[in-house]
This record gives sequence, structure tokens and C-alpha cells, in this order.
Amino acid sequence: MKRKDFLGRLIGEVTNFLLEGNPLRLVVSLHQEDDGAHISFFDDRPRSEEEIKRIYNSLNPRKSRPELAEYYGLMAGHDMAWDARLKLIGWQIKHASVDNSDSGLRIDLWLGSDAFNPDHFTLNKKEKKK
Amino acid sequence: MQRSEKLLYLLMTLLITALFITGMVLEGPLEVVMQVISLQKESARLINDFTLYGIGTAMFNAACVGVLGLVLVFFASVSLSGPTLSCILTMMGFSFFGNTLLNCIPLILGVWFASKLARKTFGSYSLIALFGTALGPLVTYIMFSLGLPYPLSIPLGLLGGIFVGFILPAVAGSMLQLHQGYNLYNVGFSCGFIGLFAANLLLAFKRMQAITVTWNTAFSLPLVLLVPLFSLLLIATALIVDKPKRSFEGFLAIQKLTGRLPYDFFDTGYFGGTLLNIGLLGLLYWAYVLVVGGPINGPVIGGIFTIMAFGGFGKTLRNTVPVVAGVILSTLVFGKSLTAPSPLLAALFSTTLAPIAGQFGVIAGLLAGFIHLVMVEVTATWHAGLDLYNNGFAGGLTASLFISILQWYKTNRPKEDFTT
Repeated sequence: MKRKDFLGRLIGEVTNFLLEGNPLRLVVSLHQEDDGAHISFFDDRPRSEEEIKRIYNSLNPRKSRPELAEYYGLMAGHDMAWDARLKLIGWQIKHASVDNSDSGLRIDLWLGSDAFNPDHFTLNKKEKKK
Repeated sequence: MQRSEKLLYLLMTLLITALFITGMVLEGPLEVVMQVISLQKESARLINDFTLYGIGTAMFNAACVGVLGLVLVFFASVSLSGPTLSCILTMMGFSFFGNTLLNCIPLILGVWFASKLARKTFGSYSLIALFGTALGPLVTYIMFSLGLPYPLSIPLGLLGGIFVGFILPAVAGSMLQLHQGYNLYNVGFSCGFIGLFAANLLLAFKRMQAITVTWNTAFSLPLVLLVPLFSLLLIATALIVDKPKRSFEGFLAIQKLTGRLPYDFFDTGYFGGTLLNIGLLGLLYWAYVLVVGGPINGPVIGGIFTIMAFGGFGKTLRNTVPVVAGVILSTLVFGKSLTAPSPLLAALFSTTLAPIAGQFGVIAGLLAGFIHLVMVEVTATWHAGLDLYNNGFAGGLTASLFISILQWYKTNRPKEDFTT
């Protein structure tokens, strides 16, 4: 249940963010392992470099904030009426990569326990390092 | 540890040291310690002005609680920044009228147990633990005011505090969903909710006494100077560390933020701008109290400290003024005095609703402040003064009402629907 709730919050908040752009197509892909998970989001709206940088910075905070993640992070994904707040999930995940795919924006979230190693996934390593 | 964090530790250490020294100078080193020990036995429910036991006593007590907060933040391995600074300054402010070491520790211990059960670090729950001290009066009320023999009542108070602290993370997380971060004192809201049950349980056992108000109206120069001196220290630090131009640039940038939880203003990169915001908030609301002719006593110091506390975590000059104006308007409309305890404290603590003004504008802020006063005047009796952050409780109710209406309106506009 803990994992389901956590994944639901992350998916909810990023979906809220992507829906603000009113996309015609939105795909969410989840791949779970015992010690972690990888979620990919694709839409059909390419973003500018500046927007991508802003999204990347929100999802990859400069320092760990456990006091904010565990408490205020509970607000993530619960509220679709107001603007999405990606930093709420940035504190809760291991890493995020953001870039334009062939059709639009692509966001990858990596999350899991301390033992979790994103390198075990067979996705393009270069993309993960962005 | 970053340079900005080291500076915050230094500023807090200076404040705490100044309070310790002033307390000892005013009442004598031994006397002040004895007085603070005796203060631990006060039930401390709203409103019990600790400055009536001695200005130095109240200051020394605030310094003790400040040390507790600072040490916990340090050892919990969380950064001293906007959120944690807000906890420590708020706790210190409330130590002028309610918090003591004795009534804080069992609650913190309860949250620590909850963190162990949830297999999280204490740092993850540190904000809940520190703000959770709002229910401190419950601990000392059970210990010393129930009329039971001390060998029974003291362990009972200790266990009660630990139990309440233990359930607090669960309640605080849920209450956050009600107002979606538009009430800055969310743990105060949660503590009020728990306080309702605690007060009514005690009432059922016929052990709940009516609340009383003790309110110091005597002039005290050290108390009057406390806020402006600390504010000026912050402003001077801002101007020296970040240079005046960048500090003002940061200050103006911060005024544009809504303040909705959780927004650490130090994360904007404007360290000086954030300190300037905190210092100017302190000066503005200190001046407000003096202009309306209110006393600078324990609860008022608590109110101003709490505004400053959130100057790095949600409150700006821009988003607080409309809410305070709403409280002033409500006070005048209902024919109350601006210097009476409830309206004066409501004006200061109503800034818990600042994010509503920040997000939805001046009118929404005015309305929120107007309604807040009406609510806050009755909510203290609901939980029998056991929740020190009574304005957080009333603010949570007001914010939840506003947000539910605004959310319904926003999600039901025709333009949000599919076209037929």
C-alpha cells in the first residue's frame, strides 16, 4: 500500500503538470523492480530549452530535504485544480531526466530504496545522465 | 554546511545567548533558574502570559526552548533554513506564553516513536515534532492541573504527550490535504483537531476547567526592544552579507511569491533578501502593535516572533498586509477594541492565511482575515486552550472553506469542460 500510494502521488503530480499543457496525447509507463521503479511520461508538446531546464531543476533539487519530502510531499498528486508543483516530488525521488522526445516532452523519474541502482534498467544511459 | 546555514546558526545563537544573558541580568542567575523550574509546573493553556512571572524568566525560558529546537535540528541532520527556522522561532515565541522544556519533550518523543514505526529518519518528521509542541499545555495540564496525585499524574501527562506526538504525523498529513498548503500553521490546525478530542475527553471525566486569560499590560523596556533589535540585526546582516542592491532585489523578488506551503524563501538564492523580509516583517508588526496602543507582552512577542519565523517560509509584507487589514476591519465592524487580547493576537497570527492573499489577491486576503477573527474568538474554547496555535486551528478552518469553494468554482467553469 505504501508503494501504491507513493507511485500514485508521483504519477498524479506529473500528470497534473503535463495536462496543464492540454496535450492531445499523454503516455505513462511504469517499470517496477523490488528495490525501485522507473516511470516515464511522454506527451506531444515539445518544450523550449529554457522550459526543459526549469522542469529539470524542479525535479532535481540541489540538496536533499527529508523534512519537506515526507511531510509536505504528501500534497503531491492530490490536487488537480491548482498549478502543479514538481518540486514536491523532486524531494522524493532519486533522479529525474527531462528532454524532448521525437513527439514531445519526455520525463523519466527514478525512485527507490538506497539499494536501488538505476543502471540496472536497460534504458539509454546517456539519457539518464542529463 | 553552507555559508548561509552557518550564518543562520550564528544569528540564532546570538538571539538565544542574548535572551539567556538578559534573563540572568534582569532577575539574577540563580533566581531566574529557580523561576524557570517553577514555570514548568504551569498548565500553560491559552492565554497564560509568562512575562507575569518575570520578564527575565520568560526570556530565559524562550532561550531554553530555542536551544532545544536548534540542537534537534542540528542532530536530525536537516538543514537550518526557512522551514526549520520557522519552527525554532515559533517555539521560542510561544515560550513567552505556553511552551516549556517539560511540555515540549514528551511530544517530540512521541513523534520520534512514530518515525521509528514508519521506518523514517527523525529528520523527516522534524517539522511535525517541533511544531507539535503546540500541544504542550496538554502535557502540563494533565501533570499538574487534574488534581490527581503527582506519582500518577506526571507519568500520565508524559504518556499523554507521547501518545499525542505519536499520532500527530498521521493527522498533520491528512489535514494538509484540506487546505492544500494555504494555512501556514498546519500543525497548529492538526493540534487543534486533536485538542478537541482531548478537551472533550477531559470534560467527560469532569476534569476540564474553564479557560482564563492572564495578560501583562505593564511596560518593559527589554521586551519592547527585543523585536526591533533582532530585526535590525537581521537587516544589517542582510546588507553586509549580500550587499544592499542584491538584498533589495531579493526582497522584491520574494514579495512576488504566493507563500503557499512549502516554499523555502532561502531556496530562491536570495539569502539577504530573505533576511530583509524577516527583519522588515518584524519591524512592521512591532510598529503596528505600538501604533494601536497594544502592550508588548509575552503573547504579543509570540505573535511577532511567529510572523518573523515564517518570513523565510511563506510570509511577505505583500501577502500579510491584506489579511491583517481584514482582521482590523472585522474588529472595527464588530465594535471590538484593537488592543483587546483576542483581536490584537488575531491580527498578528492571522498571517497564517497569507498564502490566500498571495495566490488569490487582496480581496480574498481581506475576506479571509475578516472571517478569521470571528472564528478564532471561539475556537480556543473548543479545545479549552490546549492548542497554543489556536490561530492555526481557526486559520485551517477558514482556509479549508475558502479552498473548497474556490476549487469547486475552478473545476466547474464551462470553459474547463469538453465542448459538445
